[in-house]
Amino acid sequence: MDRQRRVKQAWTIARIELRRAFFSRRAFWVYGLALFPAVIFFFYNLSIQIRRSSLQSGSLTTPALIDSIRIGERDEDILARLGKTKRDYRWQSNIRVRDKEEKSGITTHKIDPAYEARYVRLNIMVPTCSSDRTTRIYEFEVYGPDGATNLALHRPVTGSTPCSADEGPEKAVNGSVAGGIKDRWCSHEPRSYLQVDLGEPRPIGSIVIRHASAGGESAEFDTCRFSVQATNDNKIFATVVGATGTRLVEEITWHRNLVYFDGRREVRLSFTDGRLTAKNEKLLVDFEEDRKVFAGVFQFFYLRLAIFFGCLGIFMNLFRGEMLDKTLHFWFLAPARREVLLAGKYGAGLIASSVIFAFGTLACIAVLLSGHSSAEVQQYWQSAGSAHLFWYTAAAVLGCIGYGSVFVAAGLLLRNPIIPAAVLLAWESVNGFLPALLQKLSILYYLQSLCPVPAPVDGDMPALLRLLLAPAAPASKAGAVIGLLAVTAVVLWLAALAIRRIQISYSTEA
Amino acid sequence: MTSLSVVFDEVSKFYGEVLGVNRVSMNIPPGITSLVGPNGSGKTTLMNLMTGLIHADAGTILMRGISPRDPEKLMRITGYATQYDAAPRWATGFSFITTGLLLFGYSRSEAEQQAWKALEQVGLTDAAHRKVAAYSKGMRQRVRLAQAIAHDPEIILLDEPLNGLDPLVRAGTIELFRTWANRGRHVILSSHVLQEVDLISDQVILIANGMIVAEGKIRDVREEIQEHPSQFIVRCDDASRVASLLFDEDHVTEIRLNEDRLGLLVMTRDRERFSRSIGRIATNGHVIDSIIPADENVDALYEYLIGEGK
Repeated sequence: MDRQRRVKQAWTIARIELRRAFFSRRAFWVYGLALFPAVIFFFYNLSIQIRRSSLQSGSLTTPALIDSIRIGERDEDILARLGKTKRDYRWQSNIRVRDKEEKSGITTHKIDPAYEARYVRLNIMVPTCSSDRTTRIYEFEVYGPDGATNLALHRPVTGSTPCSADEGPEKAVNGSVAGGIKDRWCSHEPRSYLQVDLGEPRPIGSIVIRHASAGGESAEFDTCRFSVQATNDNKIFATVVGATGTRLVEEITWHRNLVYFDGRREVRLSFTDGRLTAKNEKLLVDFEEDRKVFAGVFQFFYLRLAIFFGCLGIFMNLFRGEMLDKTLHFWFLAPARREVLLAGKYGAGLIASSVIFAFGTLACIAVLLSGHSSAEVQQYWQSAGSAHLFWYTAAAVLGCIGYGSVFVAAGLLLRNPIIPAAVLLAWESVNGFLPALLQKLSILYYLQSLCPVPAPVDGDMPALLRLLLAPAAPASKAGAVIGLLAVTAVVLWLAALAIRRIQISYSTEA
Repeated sequence: MTSLSVVFDEVSKFYGEVLGVNRVSMNIPPGITSLVGPNGSGKTTLMNLMTGLIHADAGTILMRGISPRDPEKLMRITGYATQYDAAPRWATGFSFITTGLLLFGYSRSEAEQQAWKALEQVGLTDAAHRKVAAYSKGMRQRVRLAQAIAHDPEIILLDEPLNGLDPLVRAGTIELFRTWANRGRHVILSSHVLQEVDLISDQVILIANGMIVAEGKIRDVREEIQEHPSQFIVRCDDASRVASLLFDEDHVTEIRLNEDRLGLLVMTRDRERFSRSIGRIATNGHVIDSIIPADENVDALYEYLIGEGK
């Protein structure tokens, strides 16, 4: 009789508390969380519809014609065979490459007739043809008309401020290029120069300059534009090599993408210089893919975050909210055992959260299915559809049961909801690393075991993230339900112990 | 008797290191009992202990034989109008009381009927369907009172029940307390407004610093305090002569003549002997118009017992 009366009391409390659980201003954001995936899928479907209408304008290509396309075919041939394309994108890519006639990083400049001078000066106008603005000269050589002797070798030399003390102008006349970057003259100065004193006026027949790539650096750093001047009095200079540079040329590649659509498949053909190099087929709506995406969204977002934080908002509020409103004493003054009050409030939270999140799950699945053909949906329904629907909904409801118990207990034991939320979230996240026994103390472990489709874990994901998201070895479905209910029972038992000890002390609660 | 009393046996309650009440023992019979003491003296703590809103650290409490740890039984016979001035945001006066009554197992129609009856008793029927949050302070006080009495409890606890009530409602409420007390119920109320409890209480419990300093009927309590003389105002035609006669009595410690020479304030250590002395003086031909106890009220006791705590 007593039990019957207590059950009735708990139900009365639950009915009264449903208002708080469903409509508390502190927890309205829960609806946003619950419906977020459905809204995202809705807009995804909308974007697919817009793309479909765009692709379906004009005539469709037959599947057979699309299948006939082979790699290496010319774009004009394909256009002639398949007809007008849905999209035609063309662009060119330019890359700077060395002129095939140019030696690697070494430029030779003939002076004919030979010019007699004591001083020879290299003027850097543009250091490199890239965005880099540093001059790098590994060797500056001056030859007589016979070209036999390097007149500049080890001669006194001056130049613009070097990049560092051991990259001075003397490195450009030391006869060596093999010593790496410390074997070069380097300067960050704009319009830098290098000047060699030959000691006396000498006839100059040619100049050889060894640029960055001659010393092993990238050809991008070879001098882009420079000139050479000569003088006897170090006052009046004559230009003996006009403005010139290492010869890099632009290499142009023509690209073209054509898009065809046969009503299901969108085919993107990629051409390089007029030849087909890649053929990418993609189903405009891929049911299999969408179900995997849903599985991922459900496990990574819905279970881990939406239901988790939703239950935090609803269940923590059941007692914490009353303490903040200073109304909890009304319940304690009712002729009901504290455990009955706990049961009633937990029941209210459970009803509200289950309705909200089960509805959110069903709405998301409904929106997902609405984007597919009725034939696909019917086939899915006849195979695994109803089982998937049941287990996804069950996982959502059991998530509310599990997380709800934890947060109702936390609401009784702790004042700050952020602490239990952070601890539980961390515990749930690292659960995959824990020994098998400890994994069973996680709500998420059981919920993931109930999900009918495994969540996709991308191979490109960072290893740590993959480990965090990867589900632990799943339990059987029956084991998962029993395990979760057992964990819930233990947590509620702890909550019952806590509520019996609770005392009204609002002054310290606010 | 015990099962019909509210009994505290060596009850202590600490809030951390702060004393709430210390080793309180008392036995409250049915009737109107007032817990009197300054703010922070422990009145609300005692009431919260009686209803299980807080738990005693030591000692035992029995409310007509029921422990406050058993709200299922206790709250069926107890109603508590707390000082917490809050109600659920959604509640109207009527829904607030009806909702509470549903937890007692009443059907909705029974609960509504009871709720109307309670609202009628506190004079709130006109505002029954307005949100409690929009009530004035006095109305919120009354709706809490209505909620406490709606299930017709045997023990009614009222924390500062007359606060914020206008004089008319106050008189009606006091009348209500008296009616319940006359039916053999416990009406335990707290107040720091001494005059109001002086008029309505069957007994007072004076509290200071978490300890009971006096307990009993106001007059009995007064008589327990031997070291403090009783005061009487005597109205008579020949006040100077009466004063000189009274001065011969060794129980009289002080006499002050009124300015109008028609009255005097007499302080005596023995009320019985003072009574006999006045009788003799009257027999000897002096006209005594009236004798009024000047300190047989809670204010005076309060002053004696708590002193600076007032």
